[in-house]
Amino acid sequence: MKETILLTKHMRDNPEDSHLIDSYEKNNGYSTAKKTILESSPEKILEEIKASNIRGRGGAGFPTGVKWGFLAEDEDRYLVINADESEPGTFKDRILLERDPHQLIEGIIITCFSANIKEAFIYIRGEYAKPARRVQQAVEQAYQKGYLGKNIFGSEINLDIVVHLGAGAYICGEETALLNSLEGRRGEPRLKPPYFPAVKGLYMKPTLVNNVETISSVPWIIENGGEEYNKLGVEGSTGTRIFSLSGHVNNPGNYEIEMGSPFGEFVETLGGGIRNNKKVKAYIPGGASAPWFRGDQLDIKMTIDDVANNNSMLGSGAVVMMDEDTNLVSAAKSIVSFFAHESCGQCTPCREGTTWLEMILDRIASGRGRTSDMNLLLDVCDNISPGLSWPPKMTTICPLGPSAVSPITSLMNDFRDEVESLIPTKVLL
Amino acid sequence: MSEKVNLNVNGIDIESDPNKLLIEACEDSGIHIPRFCWHKRLDPVGMCRMCLVEVETPRGKMLVPSCTTEVSDEMVVDTESDVVKKAQEGVLEFLLINHPLDCPICDKAGECPLQDQTMAYGPGESRFVEEKRHFEKPINISEIILLDRERCILCARCTRFSDEISGDPLIEFIQRGNKTEVNTFPNEPFKSYFSGNTVQICPVGALTSTSYRFKARPWDLKSTRSTCNGCSMGCSIELNSSQNKMLRILGVDNDAVNQGWLCDKGRYNFEYLNSDSRLKTPLKKIDNELVEIEIQDVYSELSEVIKDRQTKVNFLLGSNLTNEDYVAFREFSEIISQSEKSFYLNDDKLHPGLFGENVDLAKVDDLNSSDAIVVWAEDLKEKIPVLYLRIRQAVKNGVKLVVFGHTNETLSDIADVFYGKETVSENFEIVKDISKLKEIKDLVIGKNITAILGKSTPHQSDTSVTKLFEFLNSNSNSKVLNAYSKGNTYGAFQTLENVKGLNDFVNEISEENTDLLFIVGADPVGRSVYSNQIKSIIEGLDTVVALDNFNHETSELANFLIPMSSTLGEKEGTFTNIEFRTSRIDKLVPSPGQTVSDWEFMTSLMNFAGLTVETNSLESLNKKAYENLDSSLSPVFDNLDKPSNLDGMVNVSKPKISSTDNNSNEAKFFTGEKLYGDSATERHSDSISLLGSKKYIEVSEGVVEKYNLTSSKCILIQDEFEVAVRYEVNKSFPNDLIYIPTNRRELNKFDFSREIMIIPSQVKEALNVN
Repeated sequence: MKETILLTKHMRDNPEDSHLIDSYEKNNGYSTAKKTILESSPEKILEEIKASNIRGRGGAGFPTGVKWGFLAEDEDRYLVINADESEPGTFKDRILLERDPHQLIEGIIITCFSANIKEAFIYIRGEYAKPARRVQQAVEQAYQKGYLGKNIFGSEINLDIVVHLGAGAYICGEETALLNSLEGRRGEPRLKPPYFPAVKGLYMKPTLVNNVETISSVPWIIENGGEEYNKLGVEGSTGTRIFSLSGHVNNPGNYEIEMGSPFGEFVETLGGGIRNNKKVKAYIPGGASAPWFRGDQLDIKMTIDDVANNNSMLGSGAVVMMDEDTNLVSAAKSIVSFFAHESCGQCTPCREGTTWLEMILDRIASGRGRTSDMNLLLDVCDNISPGLSWPPKMTTICPLGPSAVSPITSLMNDFRDEVESLIPTKVLL
Repeated sequence: MSEKVNLNVNGIDIESDPNKLLIEACEDSGIHIPRFCWHKRLDPVGMCRMCLVEVETPRGKMLVPSCTTEVSDEMVVDTESDVVKKAQEGVLEFLLINHPLDCPICDKAGECPLQDQTMAYGPGESRFVEEKRHFEKPINISEIILLDRERCILCARCTRFSDEISGDPLIEFIQRGNKTEVNTFPNEPFKSYFSGNTVQICPVGALTSTSYRFKARPWDLKSTRSTCNGCSMGCSIELNSSQNKMLRILGVDNDAVNQGWLCDKGRYNFEYLNSDSRLKTPLKKIDNELVEIEIQDVYSELSEVIKDRQTKVNFLLGSNLTNEDYVAFREFSEIISQSEKSFYLNDDKLHPGLFGENVDLAKVDDLNSSDAIVVWAEDLKEKIPVLYLRIRQAVKNGVKLVVFGHTNETLSDIADVFYGKETVSENFEIVKDISKLKEIKDLVIGKNITAILGKSTPHQSDTSVTKLFEFLNSNSNSKVLNAYSKGNTYGAFQTLENVKGLNDFVNEISEENTDLLFIVGADPVGRSVYSNQIKSIIEGLDTVVALDNFNHETSELANFLIPMSSTLGEKEGTFTNIEFRTSRIDKLVPSPGQTVSDWEFMTSLMNFAGLTVETNSLESLNKKAYENLDSSLSPVFDNLDKPSNLDGMVNVSKPKISSTDNNSNEAKFFTGEKLYGDSATERHSDSISLLGSKKYIEVSEGVVEKYNLTSSKCILIQDEFEVAVRYEVNKSFPNDLIYIPTNRRELNKFDFSREIMIIPSQVKEALNVN
């Protein structure tokens, strides 16, 4: 198995200065944007994006062309780049921001041209200090060159980009919470309806919210054509995707591959196999919110639909391997703790439930569990995500609460013995 | 009316207006959905998740919050399915895991939505064995409100109220997730005129008031519905008492008036009822000493004065009387006095108002349906606080707001245009051509306007307001809400002929024309700008009878001091508000000691003197008050007590107010009143007694410069009289303007027709050292 290098080409070819505009332009950077602005039309761009069948890289996998098509008419429309990459295990946007910010900016220019948007925001998670600095520098360079600002590339078109740093909240990766945060409010997901920011988004104006990787793919798609992109990968999961591989593997890191190979092959070849030749006990196919797969499920293919058909999600492309020595109760507890810490606090079930789950897991992990805790765990989960089905039903506004349920249902469905073994059965007198 | 939508809830077909929330539509059809965060008067937030119901969708049945879901035609809803019940149990269990079980000492216990809904929908027992979340037990977030964060279930009612309704978002959520708490900002207490409402709408005992804390258990309370007479808004209230002591006032949701809200003064200015300092026996002045006297002796001595029915009698009436009381005084004066009578209201300067033939009078609800509201009046936030809330509500609904003058700066944050010092001069005249103001062209001309007009200050000329009215009247479709702010002023207008203000009192009353003066529920010496003049007039009269709750600066001057029942819970009657809506005043607690209602006193006196009185009962006075009105529409008790009329009955009338205009003053100050002052009732209501104790003035930036004010204090001097005050800079004031609130102690004692000196306070201190 080999990587297919589209998005990471420039940064690999120019490891020294890929983030600087001179280097980017030397490698034909901004030529696509320039051509687009001067020669193309918004409709053509949208057609190419639709033809590429690219699906959003943030986690939900919503078809990008369809999303753009939803954008309601209004004098003021916005593009917001969701660079609040905070799903545990995910670090793909980081390299795109840090090492090829101009590719993102070029993507933004083309996107805004297509959607007739004059103001774009890049919302970067607060912990990404270096990526944010690089993006800010890149934006400034682009302004100096006249690629941003008034009359970009000498056209009639104006475009401004504002770089905004988050303050360290996972929930601000949820697009409506991100918009609240960007507006200066508490980072709390908004009520639905309105269901789509494309209708009522930032300042209640139609807003496109797209992931960094999605928009970074736009220049390649426009340069080479949507058809060409569509040929990569498999139906339903076209193009390349950067997977962040971590956990007990020999070669953790970001890998840009076409979707469609089994997870096992990916780990064995690019990942260099599991550390110390151990077996895989379980793995997370798409970030901390995704239900786990067992070690005997490594033949599942890395596509959005294959993973979904097996009751999990490809999510943000974070693959985390856990070998046979892993204490899965501790692993689940660690994930649940994360969600409890990151709950915004609006909805009762998430605010109270995630912390309670954390407490119960902590008790079990430290040998203070009770046999009744097995049912209690599942019932508390059920009160957050009724039916414990996938995709999850929710008693909450956003899916953060149900995300904390995923590792527990995985644990209880597939590794119940391991949990039970931690619960003392005899009372010591 | 737009078309209805039909939906099916729990197998029952119901009908609803479109755009209604599911929770409301169900409620209207008698199907109750439990809830904590949802409140009819607040924007939905869908946070507590208690109101989840199952709705059929193309993707199967879905759990949705009924407080954020609008009804749609052919919607199929289940509010009682197993899934819903499981979710409700789940939410309650979650809410309870961190909720302290201190119900036995919690004020809310017994009327607590969390308790009630746990009983109705909750799990039988808790499965939570860990330690609960802890916070410091109640913290004072203001002088009158306490917050217990352990009890809080984070429903956001209080935070939404202060943000959306009262517009002073001083409490907010801080932290997040399981650590989320409601709190104030550092060094900024929850100092809101409306904070008591948050206590009332809190669904648990997280917010409590110093006033009611630990005073009673809800199941011991007696209650009745009445009307607040604190200002002319006439908010609907519920009075609560236990063991014959008034303990609490709650706002009642009267859609046309207060919509459930009250100002804190209205809510807490009742504690004086239980004060030990209240007058409970009649007093008579003998050798400058007030000594106790039997009420029979009062009657007999006064009978001597009135029996020949030639007595020259005058009245100085407060605004806290019932309409029946006013009628009793009117009847009394007609029987015992043949001369022309005047009724002086306790108002420095009674504006003649806009009641002419060409005036279309507005109702409060018109605020919501007009294109724009134009305000030029006293500071409504200080004087008619709930009307201020209604203006905010209208603006939130998209009505434009145009504000004139320096007094309503409190509305400037939501006003579309605020005409400040450039447009309105320091003596309250509009100095620009109104028709040429750009915003007026856009927002007012040709539009539906509700104008709230009144005098901004006693020193303002009548003509300045009339001029604005005339412009509005000829350039727009305008209605007028006359902004008299004091208590039952409109009741006095409806029942009395020839009412005047205190400026006329000081010009007209003398020994020659007054044998007998009644001062009823009024303390002009303590509050009026004519304090000194009124004092010397009263001292010069032969017989002065004061009826009051307290012995205060004015009543202590009387020859007879009669203890009066309070209109708040101690007597029955009617009250008429700013839109001529008459509603019920009801009695809940016995009058203490020998206190009597004003009408009882007057009727008994006439009986004692052997004069025949037709109106010798409350019922007859009530009928007499409205004898000119069509009997089916008149607010007599029989009509008002009908369930459909509990919110009051509107009978617009056009009163005759005799008022002499004063020339607008040349002095560089104006007077007014703050919400909180140091009136006798406030001084004896412990919770709020200190809120109006600060002596302060507001000054323009020019004044600070001119008088070299540097510290936060300065000293006002006139002749031998001087007062040290704090000052605040009000940037909307023109050049040399100074605002002096006369309901703060001593500040009404200046002669406002002459100059008042200002010196910085440290100069004075330096002088003292030398």
